[in-house]
Amino acid sequence: MTDSSSHTVFHWNRDCRMDTKRPPPDPIAVLRGHRASVMDVCFHSSKPMLFTGATDGELRIWDTVQHRTVSSSWVHSAAHGIIGVATSPLIGDNKVVSQGRDGTVKCWDIEDGGLSRTPSLIIKTSSYHFCKLSLVKKPFTCLVQTEDASVEKSGFTTGEPKNLCDIEARETINAAMLDGVDGGKIHGDSVSPEGPKYVAIAGEQSSEVEIWDLNTAERLTRLPQICNGSSPSHSTKARGMCMAVQAFLPPKLQGFLNVLAGYEDGSMLWWDLRNPGVPVTSVKFHSEPVLTLSVDEPCTGGISGAADDKIVLFTLDHQTGCCLVKKEISLQHPGIAATSIRTDNKIAATAGWDHRLRIYNYRKGSPLAILKYHSATCNAVSFSTDCKLMASSSEDTTVALWELYPPRT
Amino acid sequence: MEESTRKRRELESEILEKVGEVVSAIREAKYVDHVICSLHSIAVHLFPVDSSRLTGCVDSRFRNQLLSGRISSPFERDEWWDVFYHGAAFPTLARVLIYNVALDWLACFPLSARTHVYDSFFVKGPPFEVVQAIIPALLKNGIKKDTDLNVVCSNVERILVLCLLDHNGVLQMARDFGGSCSSEKFTNKLLKPDMLVFTSMIAQLVASIPDKARLGAPAALSSDQFFKQVIIQLLAGAEERSVEICYNEEALDQSVSDGTFLFVGETFSRICRRGFADILLAEVIPRILGHIRGCLSSDVDIIDHNLFKSKTNFQFWFKMIETIKDSYAVERLSERLLHQLATEHITDIEAYWTLWILFHRTFRNQASIRSIFVDKCLLWKVFPVCCLRWILQFAVLDCPPSSDSLTKGQNTQGLIDIVQRLVGVWSKRQFVQSAAMEQQTYVTAAVGLSLEQMSKEELETTKDVMPLILQGVSCRLESPVTLVRRMASCIALVFSKVVDPKNPLYLDDSCSGETIDWEFGFNRQPKRIPASSDCVEKADDEVKSFVSELNKGISGAADGRKNNNVKGRYKKSELKLVDPDEIVDPATLNNDYSSDEDKDDDDYDDDSENSECLSDSSLQPYDLSDDDGDLKKKFSQLVDLVGALRKPDDPDSVERALDVAEKLVRASPDELQHVSGELVRTLVQVRCSDFTIEGEEDSAEGKRQQALVALLVTCPFESVAAVNKLLYSPNVDISQRILILDVMTDAAQELADAISNRPRHPQGNLISTSEQPWFLPQSKGPLGAGSWKEASETGTSLSWSYRYERNLPLKPSQIKIGKSRRWSLRSEKMQQNQLEYSKNKFPLYAAAFMLPAMQGFDKKRHGVDLLGGDFIVLGKLIYMLGVCMRCVAMHPEAMALAPALLDMLSSREVSHHVEAYVRRSVLFAASCILEALHPSFVASALVEGNAEISNGLEWIRTWALHVVESETNTECSTMALTCLRLHTEMALQASRVLESTDNTFKAKGTDVSTNLLKGEIKITYSNMGYQI
Repeated sequence: MTDSSSHTVFHWNRDCRMDTKRPPPDPIAVLRGHRASVMDVCFHSSKPMLFTGATDGELRIWDTVQHRTVSSSWVHSAAHGIIGVATSPLIGDNKVVSQGRDGTVKCWDIEDGGLSRTPSLIIKTSSYHFCKLSLVKKPFTCLVQTEDASVEKSGFTTGEPKNLCDIEARETINAAMLDGVDGGKIHGDSVSPEGPKYVAIAGEQSSEVEIWDLNTAERLTRLPQICNGSSPSHSTKARGMCMAVQAFLPPKLQGFLNVLAGYEDGSMLWWDLRNPGVPVTSVKFHSEPVLTLSVDEPCTGGISGAADDKIVLFTLDHQTGCCLVKKEISLQHPGIAATSIRTDNKIAATAGWDHRLRIYNYRKGSPLAILKYHSATCNAVSFSTDCKLMASSSEDTTVALWELYPPRT
Repeated sequence: MEESTRKRRELESEILEKVGEVVSAIREAKYVDHVICSLHSIAVHLFPVDSSRLTGCVDSRFRNQLLSGRISSPFERDEWWDVFYHGAAFPTLARVLIYNVALDWLACFPLSARTHVYDSFFVKGPPFEVVQAIIPALLKNGIKKDTDLNVVCSNVERILVLCLLDHNGVLQMARDFGGSCSSEKFTNKLLKPDMLVFTSMIAQLVASIPDKARLGAPAALSSDQFFKQVIIQLLAGAEERSVEICYNEEALDQSVSDGTFLFVGETFSRICRRGFADILLAEVIPRILGHIRGCLSSDVDIIDHNLFKSKTNFQFWFKMIETIKDSYAVERLSERLLHQLATEHITDIEAYWTLWILFHRTFRNQASIRSIFVDKCLLWKVFPVCCLRWILQFAVLDCPPSSDSLTKGQNTQGLIDIVQRLVGVWSKRQFVQSAAMEQQTYVTAAVGLSLEQMSKEELETTKDVMPLILQGVSCRLESPVTLVRRMASCIALVFSKVVDPKNPLYLDDSCSGETIDWEFGFNRQPKRIPASSDCVEKADDEVKSFVSELNKGISGAADGRKNNNVKGRYKKSELKLVDPDEIVDPATLNNDYSSDEDKDDDDYDDDSENSECLSDSSLQPYDLSDDDGDLKKKFSQLVDLVGALRKPDDPDSVERALDVAEKLVRASPDELQHVSGELVRTLVQVRCSDFTIEGEEDSAEGKRQQALVALLVTCPFESVAAVNKLLYSPNVDISQRILILDVMTDAAQELADAISNRPRHPQGNLISTSEQPWFLPQSKGPLGAGSWKEASETGTSLSWSYRYERNLPLKPSQIKIGKSRRWSLRSEKMQQNQLEYSKNKFPLYAAAFMLPAMQGFDKKRHGVDLLGGDFIVLGKLIYMLGVCMRCVAMHPEAMALAPALLDMLSSREVSHHVEAYVRRSVLFAASCILEALHPSFVASALVEGNAEISNGLEWIRTWALHVVESETNTECSTMALTCLRLHTEMALQASRVLESTDNTFKAKGTDVSTNLLKGEIKITYSNMGYQI
């Protein structure tokens, strides 16, 4: 891109600004095929793939370019259904994790034309709740290393990789990214050591958070960790069920898993795995159960949604270990089922019970758009890694693909 | 004096002798010339006759005789004339002239002879003598032969036209009477009180002329033309006389007894009595208006009573009414005057002065005139509203209006009295119940207009006006008639304006304007009284639409609110502009865009060192407006619906539940019959006004009603049981009862009109081997004729017979013009295979609908009193029952249900209810019963001796007759007429059925003819005026 062209773009935007009543965009595509409420949606980190899971236990893989179903498989029983689907470069490019309400988490291999017939791993968590699992989120400290190994950028806010023109390029980049995670020493062929293959879920005791290892299908720890010596004061039972978890690796403290957990009473606890008995901090932003927590790319802040009529943007200070409200957005209709922050940290999306997706300027917290397409409660919203697409899923059995504020390349 | 009397006697006897000669000469005359000569001989003594004109037309033998006659001097002639006409001579001669001469000789008279020696006796005499002498001849006494009578009468008529009209005899009479007071000549004859008698006798004679004239009389003697001429002459005479009197400076008051005025007044009062006040007014009004306009247009600053009093040309008009002694005539005259003035489109000021000029003296002096204006014109008669204003201005406010609006004078006591009296009448419940609608609107307008003139203080001085107004308003507001309610709200508005002008009370949207339409939409143009045949036709037309009218009346309550509704919607659309849900970024509110952007960029720069990065300015918000129309919770379960409706604290969900209720019910899910009762109760109990915004109540009510109808239709038995239980439950109010009845009515109709598609059965040969079903007409006919199809009945849904039709091929001589287009073979096929047919589903449920509702209507329980206060509910109930009856028309169920309904209707409290609304419903229901009973049922009931039916039908007949005769409400009597007609039709049909059964029995050889009948049915005979 030349300067002149970006200049043009700038002006075009100005003109747009004049037009105050720009109608909100419609979805660029609607993916139909599920026969039940679509609970979760998740982009593949590098391939044009979208994973969706529905309450009848069906997991579908969609091609986000052709907008077609790639595969469909019944991964959990129809009676229980899927509540969560997740992929992450940290657990491997060819893996997808599904969580059912049958008390299991299954890890699947992505093969040509779909999923493996049998899961590569089954974790019997014996937990039956509505809390979606969380894979570990890791800030791309080094992923800005571009193909030609140009200048490494400082700062996390510019997490968006440049010059991603096609899928091949992105794949390469992603490989590079993955390398970067481990210091760029190990190459992509040996898939295993991408990072800590952990999954955080609400546990058998629903007020607890459990961390499981995806390699061994063993439980790593529970939060709070009940050891004999610990005082009962740190028990989270009084907070009610754990409704939302988000695991992440803080940038400066590599390897030490942190977990944010939202509880039924509206409070939120920040756990550091180094000290599983006592949370780092405890805050209460919401008056109703916290339903969703998202942490931004540098893991220095996040967004939380609850059953009340608020969205809270907060900051996480790793030095002092405190969590502060950055901005509180009040809503007309209560109930936020899911939130997501785009990897470039520019915008955040919420999926509401009011059938609407709301887009916010993540940095300022100002509203950008109200997207109306779904005709029932929205269950999930997710951004693609390349920031170009957003997917939303809803109880109306549809999945919508959106193109919002696409990053200029 | 002695001398002159003696001389006069001598002269009189001389004249009589002469007349005697002439008469005998005429009797013995052989030729017409004899007659002419003898008449001429007396004529020359009385008036100058140009004898030479006669010579040409008589035989030469008599010519000398004519010319040789002695010509008397003018003085002599006057003397003769006086004695001749005022004595016995003229009547004697006149009789001969009229009977003998006219019969035998007049036809032979040459024209000039007729003019000079025949007509001149009448033309040149004083007209009142002439009138006295000849008018009796019109009475046709003593003449046997018709031809003779015709000759005599036509001659008399000719003379009358000649004297009275052509020679202004009436004017002359008026002058003579005027002169009679002063002149010495007639004092002996025209002394009071004889003069009064004499005057009125003459006036009577004059006024009776058109009545006495024959059918073939000249057009000039027809009432209107004759009276017009007479009136013109009289008015001229009176005006002339009044000027005379004025110059003579005689006192105005004395002049009332002036002969001219007396005569004029007497004649006018007779003309008015005969019903020709309009003709009189047509002459009077333009004259008065001309004078008034002359005065008003003159450059006089102050127009007041003195201005008019000073004008000489008003003198007669001031007294005209006074001269008419007959108070009935005055009443008629004033009434017609007001109507005519209303059609003249004159200003209020002109009208006021017209009334003032004519009536101010009598109004002051005579109590009868006062009562005409203050009582009859305000309370009993109905005039256009403009007349009402004039009456109020003249008779109540008693001062000239300033502009075209009512003006209050100094003296307000009259106004207060009138208001009290008016309000006293207006507020009576009986007045609301029984007065005709025109009367009610008129009195309401009178109350309103006079109230407008009152001040708060004046209102407070009266002791009972305020409570009476409140009473009148409240009893009108309960009325089922929209118009009556509107009257109440108009009066309430006026009243509130009097009490507190800044805070008017609007009970109704319709009177939101500044001025109130006191006509209430009645276009009261002067109505022509329709000819009797017209009347019947019109009644018939009215009858045809009576059902719809009744419906209209009953649903009238809703009409008023329609505007309201529209308005509400309008409001809503306005509100839409500001969306309450719109999320507004405070930043965008505080800063305009450019500064926002700047800040944005700065912000960004602070945040990150990398200025090369794209700024957030690319993140422009989209349109953030949002409405939650789609968010409303959809109800998909009836149980949810019931639950939502039961939450009065959540108006939104109640509203949404109502939105979907009908659809959900119509889908008729399996559980419907289990929840239907509960749903009915819930729907009835929902208070629409609680949760809807103002102006939206109607749509919510409508939805609720639709939902209930749907329930009753889809699940009749269970729902109807619940509805009927609710109907008499103490827990519902009147509006809910009305709702219930409306819903039942609609549901019954819907069930009756149910249309269902059903595939046509394959026509297999079940019994007969022929291809055609037995009930179709034979398929004979020309080659190529189509197959028979059942033709749909066009008009009513009730058909007593089946009709079939088929296509016939064109005859060779016929040519088909134009194209017929029939596309889509498939659809035609479909039609053939699938026959849409409607089946009346209602009879099955009729008993469930009607019987429980009829059971408890006369019981007085807590909060339920149909026969007393809740008469609207009673009316609706009866209407509903009537509709139910119609819906089972021609079904056997009608026969079973009719007696029960008749029993209810014929109870005295119902059929003689004080409210016309109830009586109207009863008539409707009775008509429905008559329509619903199949004649053959009736016939069989008669044969079987089913007393209930025959008695009930007989009751309908007698009662309808009674209503026709005695009902005050026009709508009721019209409906009673229809009812009678239906009864006759039904009776006729039934008797035909009976006849045909008779025939069958006779054919079978059994003789069970007339004694077969155990009941009786009467047909209203045609002498009642209702042809079968």
